[in-house]
Amino acid sequence: MANRFSLPNLGVGLGLRTVHYAHILEYRPAVDWFEVLSENYMQTAGRPLQYLEAIAERYPVVMHGVSLSIGSTDPLDRGYLAELRGLRDRVGALWVSDHLCWTGVGGKNTHDLLPLPYTDEALRHVVDRVRAVQDFLGAPLALENPSTYVEYTGSTMKEWEFVARLAEEADCALLLDVNNVFVSSRNHGHDPHEYLAAVPFDRVVQIHVAGHTDHGTHIIDSHIGPVAEEVWRLLGDAYARAGGVSVLLEWDADIPSFAETHAEALRAREYIGKSA
Amino acid sequence: MNTLRGTQLWFARSIMATGSDPASADEREAAHRLTAGPRLSSPERLDIYRRAYHARLLECLSDDYPALQHAVGAAAFEELCRSFIARHPSEGPNLNFFGRRLAAFCRDEGPFEPATRSFAADLASLEWAIVEAIHAASGEPMTLERLRDLPAEAWAAAKLVPNTSLRLLRLDHPVNAYFQAFKDGRDAAIPSAGPSATAVYRSGYTVWRMDLTVPMFDVLLALLDGEALGAALGRADRALAELDAADAAQRVTHWFREWVSSGLFAGVIEANREG
Repeated sequence: MANRFSLPNLGVGLGLRTVHYAHILEYRPAVDWFEVLSENYMQTAGRPLQYLEAIAERYPVVMHGVSLSIGSTDPLDRGYLAELRGLRDRVGALWVSDHLCWTGVGGKNTHDLLPLPYTDEALRHVVDRVRAVQDFLGAPLALENPSTYVEYTGSTMKEWEFVARLAEEADCALLLDVNNVFVSSRNHGHDPHEYLAAVPFDRVVQIHVAGHTDHGTHIIDSHIGPVAEEVWRLLGDAYARAGGVSVLLEWDADIPSFAETHAEALRAREYIGKSA
Repeated sequence: MNTLRGTQLWFARSIMATGSDPASADEREAAHRLTAGPRLSSPERLDIYRRAYHARLLECLSDDYPALQHAVGAAAFEELCRSFIARHPSEGPNLNFFGRRLAAFCRDEGPFEPATRSFAADLASLEWAIVEAIHAASGEPMTLERLRDLPAEAWAAAKLVPNTSLRLLRLDHPVNAYFQAFKDGRDAAIPSAGPSATAVYRSGYTVWRMDLTVPMFDVLLALLDGEALGAALGRADRALAELDAADAAQRVTHWFREWVSSGLFAGVIEANREG
């Protein structure tokens, strides 16, 4: 099953990180594609953009943001959207994604991916904003399911139901983070397979895997270290349901050498078969 | 009010609050608004976000000001940052420039002894100039040949176009030497007060720092402000009045050769044409 947006399966990619810039430009390793953090290349005319342009000349690139704040009750930041669209067009990013969350309110930005209450009010609010963003970008927006550490007493539906209804009603794409599914499920006592069963996989254009940190009482989506075996197995399940989709490893702290990071990403092929 | 906006305003206020522990009123509100998890109470779950908020912004400032953190120590740096974050919460979608006010904050409100406060402000100014140089555009530098090709009659009125990443600092402490010692992993004491001047600029992927004498700083600053070459050279002559004319001319020639070959200028504008 190809995704309904006809976005390509790029293979197994890596999140582009600053510490790997020099290695990538010098050795030009055989990587299927890179995902770049949008905000790292916004509000800058300097070195980060130089690196990105050099890398985007050689590799397929997709943009992944953390500050769209699609769930915030503050107005959409049109200046941010204009810069996002400009960056996408400048580097030829194949699609743009962000998170199903809010990052700030009242003009203040926490720079964290904060959870929404899963209510009809929130759903209507986010659907309207996703439609507005997609109109502005002239392309589908891919939204990622967040890792969460709280649930609201006022929620009237589970996250997976909210995600599925949002995707259908806003007609948007999904970036399924199977590590986030695992983290949130453990933190809230849910079954990650029940989550996956509810995902409209024809809308999934990308899957994330990452490491997490188990603190005993809760799990943090730290993006540190190797991917847990349970998460790899969720990847295999999700990949089969999607019928083949772009897969990406995020590694954001205590980042090892490029070779080690890439080797961890390529472990995905053990779980998704030879079709990747 | 338990609407989406009310929920978000409460949540943001709770996690952005200063202090090491949540107030009991916040805990009651958290218990009302949030469910308990399998192993954590609702206030404990909310506290994960509160810690993450401060840790993320602290990490951002640590990335931008590593030498300052080293100089004042981790605990004092964290105290400084927590005060700064409370006073200047982020209002934009991007963290690239979150720390831009830290030098002024050190000078005006830094939790340091007066002597340390002044040094910390100077060091923060240098480190912020580096951040600005990283994010500023930097095109092809002007060549020495271009300057040599300038017709003799055009020199006096010509103006140099600075590299847009160029920042000039005139400070009350020799912080560039301290910063270099930090970069080299050498122990260095916090220096005594003493005037210093430094140019910070980027060429390609590399950010450079160049120590300047006071006359060099004055001439460069004048050029950055759009002063014509003739006037800037006159300024240099006056600054080097203690030298004989030939030595002064040789020194100024050396300055310009070094500045141009280092990439401090992007071009030259002749009175009637640009190039």
